[in-house]
Amino acid sequence: MLVELTVNGELKSADCPPETTLLKFLREHLMLTGAKLGCDVGDCGTCTVIVDGKSVNSCLMLAARAAGRDITTIEGLANAQQVHPIQEAFEELGSLQCGFCGPGMIMSAKNLLDKNPTASRPEIKDALSGNLCRCTGYTKIIEAIEDAGRVMSSTKPLHSNL
Amino acid sequence: MNTRMKNLNKADKAEITAKEKETTTPLVKEPHEVPGDEPVTYPLQFPQHDSRLQTPAVGQRATRPDGRLHGLGQTQYIDDITFPHMIHAKILRSEHAYAKIISVDTSEAEAMPGVFATLTGKEIPTNTFGPTLQDQPVLADTIVRHRGDGVAAVAAVSEQVASDALAKIKVKYEVLEPVFDPLESYGDKAPRIHGGDTNVYASKIIKKGDVEKAFTEADHVFEQQFTTQMVEHVPLEPHASIASWDGNGRVSIWSSLGRITLGRQDIARTLDLPQSKIRLIGTIVGGNFGGKNEITNEPILALLSRKTGRPVKAVYTRGDEFVSSTIRHPFVMDYKTGVMNDGTLTARKIRLLLDGGAYCSWTGTTIGKGSILAPGPYNIPNIHVEAYAVYTNKTVTGAMRGFGAPQVCFAYESQMDTIAEKLGMDPLEIRLKNAFSDGSASPTSQRLQSVALKESLNQASERFGWQEPKA
Repeated sequence: MLVELTVNGELKSADCPPETTLLKFLREHLMLTGAKLGCDVGDCGTCTVIVDGKSVNSCLMLAARAAGRDITTIEGLANAQQVHPIQEAFEELGSLQCGFCGPGMIMSAKNLLDKNPTASRPEIKDALSGNLCRCTGYTKIIEAIEDAGRVMSSTKPLHSNL
Repeated sequence: MNTRMKNLNKADKAEITAKEKETTTPLVKEPHEVPGDEPVTYPLQFPQHDSRLQTPAVGQRATRPDGRLHGLGQTQYIDDITFPHMIHAKILRSEHAYAKIISVDTSEAEAMPGVFATLTGKEIPTNTFGPTLQDQPVLADTIVRHRGDGVAAVAAVSEQVASDALAKIKVKYEVLEPVFDPLESYGDKAPRIHGGDTNVYASKIIKKGDVEKAFTEADHVFEQQFTTQMVEHVPLEPHASIASWDGNGRVSIWSSLGRITLGRQDIARTLDLPQSKIRLIGTIVGGNFGGKNEITNEPILALLSRKTGRPVKAVYTRGDEFVSSTIRHPFVMDYKTGVMNDGTLTARKIRLLLDGGAYCSWTGTTIGKGSILAPGPYNIPNIHVEAYAVYTNKTVTGAMRGFGAPQVCFAYESQMDTIAEKLGMDPLEIRLKNAFSDGSASPTSQRLQSVALKESLNQASERFGWQEPKA
């Protein structure tokens, strides 16, 4: 079946079998491999993307359900001139170790900070409740999101020299 | 380079270097004898270079070289790599914990549209592998020893078709009585999972002094049993690999394997191919924790690629990951410790029983490290450690963060708390009284250097207010 949707501002379409998940559609049909497959059952959050302003586990959403919608993936955050403040904070604080959870974590964080850049720690933790990190780097991840929020709302970061 | 490094001017750098030289030199090491059965004279002579004494990076803030690409989603893990004409493989797992394989019939699966090839254990040139003992089949051909054993593999145009084809493979089993409890497996009556006259496949004994005599002289003797459970690494990136057998008879394998030189040796053995014909590329690993230290399905993919002439990729499902990849050894630990009234430890007798699961994997390293560390970081003059690893019909146990160290740590530290409570001592005080210091000897008589255990305990307890009255 033909699925047509907007990804990172570009209109894309591809032919795929009906059982294709949004994650497989992005990774295998559009070759956007930033979102990762960790568990394929919605537990780990490595596949998080933003669909119409909501963060979703793309492994649980069929590509057909995403047709006509507006998708943002990790590839849509930075351009050749500038990285996103969240990505900058993650890099500066060394928040990612193996990095596999990173794109999902950052997309969940973006979804939160876009709506509430001055999010408190409990709010940040709540927004990350669907994202697992097995290198146990949560402390640095939360600090980076806190700092990125401060950059986005033009106040002074707490943990880094951003 | 980061901001702080940049801001550090030349004068500061010179000062730091000068200070370091003052405090770190001269390095005078007097030869000394180490207590134990075989005295060794230290130090072993190594040339000292100036460069070894200069560590300008210490104390500086650094950023990870791979941090940016991780955050941008540009890091290429194995599942992010594709090749033209690549096909996908899936592995059929055993239905039983312990059974004889009577027959494997793949004909119906092979006839399915979209299926390129199937593979069974009988087609693998040398169907055993393992980092220490080669006791594990790549695909089980005569017997399955746990639920995670692969019995057949399919390569197909997509993962979905390969999964559907697995359902068409017919395997006939003769179910055998399994053993799940390590204590039962250690006993006389249990079935011998790998034949022979015992299920014990690795052991270690460490002796120092005379524990029995010390127990009779001790004011108190504590006896306890501790057990730990299985733990799966759950790396967020599942095991994955791609194999491509080219027209020159050389195979290239991309794998999320952490030890590629060892892996290549093992792959060469199973494929009956010289190592020079194998190119093994270790990709960026999305979490290892010890679970990606040996080969898994690489030989299967290589053979499927040879059969089909296509690159073959396989990614474990999360289910595969739990039943088929290695896990942490569960330990059964018997601790007997002799203590004087003032809290001095005089003797410790330990028996460790490692639940090894169906195959050896990294048990050799785990039993060694677990045994050496079992008495704990304490000066105990009389020590007896005996450790045994036994086969059971469960998931294979292998390397995981610390190779047995966390298991024994749980036991000896738990017992330290029990002892402190019974003697009415402060748990910190009893540890400080017995703790290793610089020059202490390990249970295997290694003279330990740079030991900062007491300092660490003191600093940590100060910082979190251990001495303050508890509410």
